[in-house]
Amino acid sequence: MLHGYGGHILRVDLSSGQIRREKPDPDYLLEVIGGRGLNSRRLFDELDRDIDPLSEENMLLIGVGPVTGSLFSTSAYMTISGKSPLTGILGDSAAGGFFGAEIKYAGYDQLVFTGRSEKLCYVFICDDRVEIRDAGHLAGKDIFQTTAAIRTELNDNNLQIAAIGPAGENLVRYSIVACNNSRVCGRTGMGCLFGTKNLKAVVVKGTGMVSTADPLKFMKLCTVVDKRIMAHPEFKDRHDMGSTLLMKALNNLGILPVNHFQKGMAPYVDKISGQTLAAGYKVKNKGCYNCNINCSRYYVTPEVESEGPEYETLCSFSSRIGNDNLEFALKMNHYLNRMGLDSLSTGETIGWAMECVEKGIFTRDDFDGLDFTWGNIETVGRVLDLIVNQRGIGVEFGKGTRHLAETMGRGSEKYALHVKGLDVICGDPRGIKAFGLTYAIASRGADHLRAEPFFELTNRFEEAEKRFGTRDAADRLADNGKAQLVEFTERQALLTDCLTMCKNVGLSMDVLDFELAAELLQAGTGLKFTEDAVNKSLRATITNDRLMNIDFGVTSADDTLPHRFTHEPLMEGASKNQVVPVRDMVRDYYRLKEWDENGVPKKK
Amino acid sequence: MLIIDAGKCSGCRRCETHCSFYHSGKTGYHGARIKVEKIELIGLDFPVVCHQCKEHYCTRCPQKAISITARGSIEVSPTLCDLCGVCEKLCPVGAIEIYNDIPHVCDLCGGEPRCVSACEMEAIRYEPLVSRQVSLSSVKKKTAGLTPAEKRHERALQEADILRKSWFKDRSA
Repeated sequence: MLHGYGGHILRVDLSSGQIRREKPDPDYLLEVIGGRGLNSRRLFDELDRDIDPLSEENMLLIGVGPVTGSLFSTSAYMTISGKSPLTGILGDSAAGGFFGAEIKYAGYDQLVFTGRSEKLCYVFICDDRVEIRDAGHLAGKDIFQTTAAIRTELNDNNLQIAAIGPAGENLVRYSIVACNNSRVCGRTGMGCLFGTKNLKAVVVKGTGMVSTADPLKFMKLCTVVDKRIMAHPEFKDRHDMGSTLLMKALNNLGILPVNHFQKGMAPYVDKISGQTLAAGYKVKNKGCYNCNINCSRYYVTPEVESEGPEYETLCSFSSRIGNDNLEFALKMNHYLNRMGLDSLSTGETIGWAMECVEKGIFTRDDFDGLDFTWGNIETVGRVLDLIVNQRGIGVEFGKGTRHLAETMGRGSEKYALHVKGLDVICGDPRGIKAFGLTYAIASRGADHLRAEPFFELTNRFEEAEKRFGTRDAADRLADNGKAQLVEFTERQALLTDCLTMCKNVGLSMDVLDFELAAELLQAGTGLKFTEDAVNKSLRATITNDRLMNIDFGVTSADDTLPHRFTHEPLMEGASKNQVVPVRDMVRDYYRLKEWDENGVPKKK
Repeated sequence: MLIIDAGKCSGCRRCETHCSFYHSGKTGYHGARIKVEKIELIGLDFPVVCHQCKEHYCTRCPQKAISITARGSIEVSPTLCDLCGVCEKLCPVGAIEIYNDIPHVCDLCGGEPRCVSACEMEAIRYEPLVSRQVSLSSVKKKTAGLTPAEKRHERALQEADILRKSWFKDRSA
């Protein structure tokens, strides 16, 4: 008997209404592990590369892993994958919460959606019963309303629901899928992919359980990881503030995005910090499935109450756009989650517009009369409404910063901060060089989560020497040793996505190593996962992702960073005078991966 | 008995996973004898578990399959139980529910409740000497005829007012 896994792949063709259940072969599972690895392999094997991502030929995959929903702490995640409507290359986005675990309880490892429903629909999965149901009455409803309406309709408050809002229905290219309102698949426009398929929500209820091959061994390994988490020096801060602790931490390092990365420090940081949020607005901790950190928070303000925000949202709607009003950022977190917009990509379009106006490239007249001066929260509120409802300038804004700058021209392309069409996250790479390399080479664009080389911020010099052969790997300002670091953490990041566990824990807190993961997988599934087999699988997925992206048109010229990060040194703070020597770092990375000078994997 | 602090619960459902795993070596909502009711729109998370109520409604089992242990917890005899479902109907809060052909209810894990040790938020406390302190007679009338899941929802909602008042009082202070 197959343990750990749900044991089935569900295929739903929304065009024909055909529903099929398949059993994955254990040897296949050994090759892909699960989660993102499973999704990537499915795309690699089945997706026609030339399709328009908005067409019905695109695939929409939801994958979970062999320990998702198990006793293993933070095994809460799930990954949605497809060809990205925002970037046109590999797209995927993960979220925690409870949706992933429920998929396992229902007996699945992956949900595969193909085709396009004629009318707006939602798919209800209760164990092996699967229904495509009409969602006409949910059209235009926000994510919170949709979730509530489906629960009322099916008379079950415990349903796990991944839904899109009006932004997804209106095909905003960076719209999100939110699970139970607050745990969000934000990046690369997976909400838009739902929208193109006329899929308003996926609703799951599972009455089964996740078994393990060797429960006692599995429990012991879980305890090892639990102890590492609880004893971690960052435990308390992460518990208290979650990722919002980064507001002050990055400010101290001089790499907090301020006014669209023109500066790395905000004099008003104490007004918008994680500390201020926790002290003034947080009423309790929130946690994803089986978490022992509980880094999320529930907050109340005079206007709204909600879960969150994560750092990227907080920064995108405060210092990145020159806003020092914390309550406004909290209100926006609530709005974005309801309407279904990715905070990072939305924030980048606004930051770009504000910088372009400051530089005199555009004026009010170019933006429907809206006044894009730094921190103008009235403008922010109005442009969001235009984006969600796809009116006026919102139409072009809703296609992402790359498209927007290319369409509006006049040299504004230089200020569109993206890699491969995906907007840069809220960490200035000039003071964290391995992150710079990560943004440049990441297979979904400018993102930290493909490798999150947090290690370079930890000053663990001896460990750096041991793992990567140079102490420089633990020095954030050094560029030496960073290819080795990124090659390592890229596998570690993929491993957390395959299992599927939280990256803050598996990666940033560095509690998971390959040997332990192999033991855990063996005890969990009973399959012969060895450290070598796990690494082989991870390397194969990374290579396949690269080959797929090359098919999508990616070249070595795309493995770079926006001009700002390579040529404009930071002017003040702890990362003063720094830029990222990205070309050399990428070259080192190619060599290490045995890719040729064009970044093409050599044929074995 | 197990005493729950709704103000501390983060809704992570770690109590469920550890409960379920201890009893079956597997994890799953339905295999757990403590179940977290989550109402996202009002920020409420509340684990519902046997209150060891004064009334001991479930012991009115027609097959006499349900008895009380020395610790005050509920014990189900698998040989006497004929899965009639009366216990489910009788319990006012949805703390006993049939799954995999046996009523699932908290047994305090033989005196070391795993949910308590698993909860990093310290939202669940075990008081070994306290039992039969809570009367559920008023709840009983309100939840008659509901399914166990609906009863847990109602039970959780009872916590909402007090909890939310405390949040807004704290804010205005």
